[in-house]
Amino acid sequence: MKDNDTADDPGTTHFGFQTVDRDQKESLVRGVFDSVATRYDLMNDLMSAGIHRLWKRFTIELSSVRPGQTVLDIAGGTGDLAAKFSHLVGSEGRVVLADINDSMLKVGRDRLIDSGAVGNLHTVQCDAQSLPFPDHSVDCITIAFGLRNVTDKDRALRSMERVLKPGGRLLVLEFSKPVHPVLERIYDTYSFRVLPLMGQLVANDPDSYRYLAESIRQHPDQDTLLGMMEDAGFVSCEYHNMTGGIVAVHKGIKA
Amino acid sequence: MTSSHDPTVVTAVLMAAEAAINRGLALDPTSARDLAELAGTVLAIECFSPDMEVFAIVRPGGTLHLTPYSEAVAHVRVRGELSDFLSLATAEDPAATLINSDLEIVGNTAPLLTLQALVTRMQPDWEAPLADALGDVAGHQLANLLRRIFRWGQASSQSLRRQLSEFILEEGRLSPPAAELEFFYQEVGALGLRVDRLESRLKRLAQRLATVR
Repeated sequence: MKDNDTADDPGTTHFGFQTVDRDQKESLVRGVFDSVATRYDLMNDLMSAGIHRLWKRFTIELSSVRPGQTVLDIAGGTGDLAAKFSHLVGSEGRVVLADINDSMLKVGRDRLIDSGAVGNLHTVQCDAQSLPFPDHSVDCITIAFGLRNVTDKDRALRSMERVLKPGGRLLVLEFSKPVHPVLERIYDTYSFRVLPLMGQLVANDPDSYRYLAESIRQHPDQDTLLGMMEDAGFVSCEYHNMTGGIVAVHKGIKA
Repeated sequence: MTSSHDPTVVTAVLMAAEAAINRGLALDPTSARDLAELAGTVLAIECFSPDMEVFAIVRPGGTLHLTPYSEAVAHVRVRGELSDFLSLATAEDPAATLINSDLEIVGNTAPLLTLQALVTRMQPDWEAPLADALGDVAGHQLANLLRRIFRWGQASSQSLRRQLSEFILEEGRLSPPAAELEFFYQEVGALGLRVDRLESRLKRLAQRLATVR
């Protein structure tokens, strides 16, 4: 799989399998997430049979976050990771839940407040490509199932590298390419037939879930993303395939 | 992480084990309090077969966190086969099991023995959640019933082990008793020594005969 971040024309990019103007993608993605925000968690559980919790837990283990540290959870959506990080960094630390989408951020913020994760937690609406944080200010950045929706992934990775402290780590949890051809075939059938049907039945929104499947196929595979992270300046980059490569978590350290 | 297994599977297994242990600890305040004294202790378990590494980290509240990945320096690292770990976990005399097993230990063994002892003597108060859910009367009755079933299960299992042993040793004569086997080994050893002595004597006689001629 090649890096599908940009289409052949530099002025365009992919939105699922469609080619759209780069300026358009942000609003199209916003439309998708505005539509799914309220049922996002339910759909995540249904679509992954709850396995997304295991993927996220392993990502948190890889973060090795300690009390007193500052964590930035980009595209944090409904705040799954942020809630755990809030507990890990303690009262001396700080967690910033960031998302470009206002609807997702509101759902996440309300859920975190309801769960008692307050005091060390802040919410910021921002674009991953231009993070509004000072250089060398964050110990750990996570972006879970968010990078594939970013228009310019290279720019976003460079922005994250700028914000991280030297020695700080970036963790990218994202759908990837199954390592076994049989699993890939089963996964394709599931993505393009079952997912939109599930979206129709549960959220009455098959198009958003079709976009989800298409955007996963357009996302760079494990090795390509690893190369992109190295190009952005990260060192000691590595990835762990999970559930046969359906999902991979990439780790990179800021030099 | 050195494990060659899919992190999803390892994480799922550890998550389930952690939940079960911590639920048990929540129902046994004494064990939880003892465990809290070990807060911050990191125990690394390196299993060769199946190939996986697990870290057990004691948290301040007296709970255990199991993870396949940790960058913390382990206070004690134990390496070995799964069967050795299972023997240790269920051993009545963990110190003797540790010494006699093929487990390789690096670091301070004290927290490891404390943890093992804690797991062995854990006595969760299962009546409390039952009473919470069903009320005191029904909860107590159900707890009594479960206790009786558990005791019957324990007694049956002990009795079965004893009867099986008796059948193998006495009825079926499929395997000799330990004392008989020990006596046999002693006899074989004594016979070996006698043969050695006889061999030496014959050599001496042969030498003497050669000198006389």
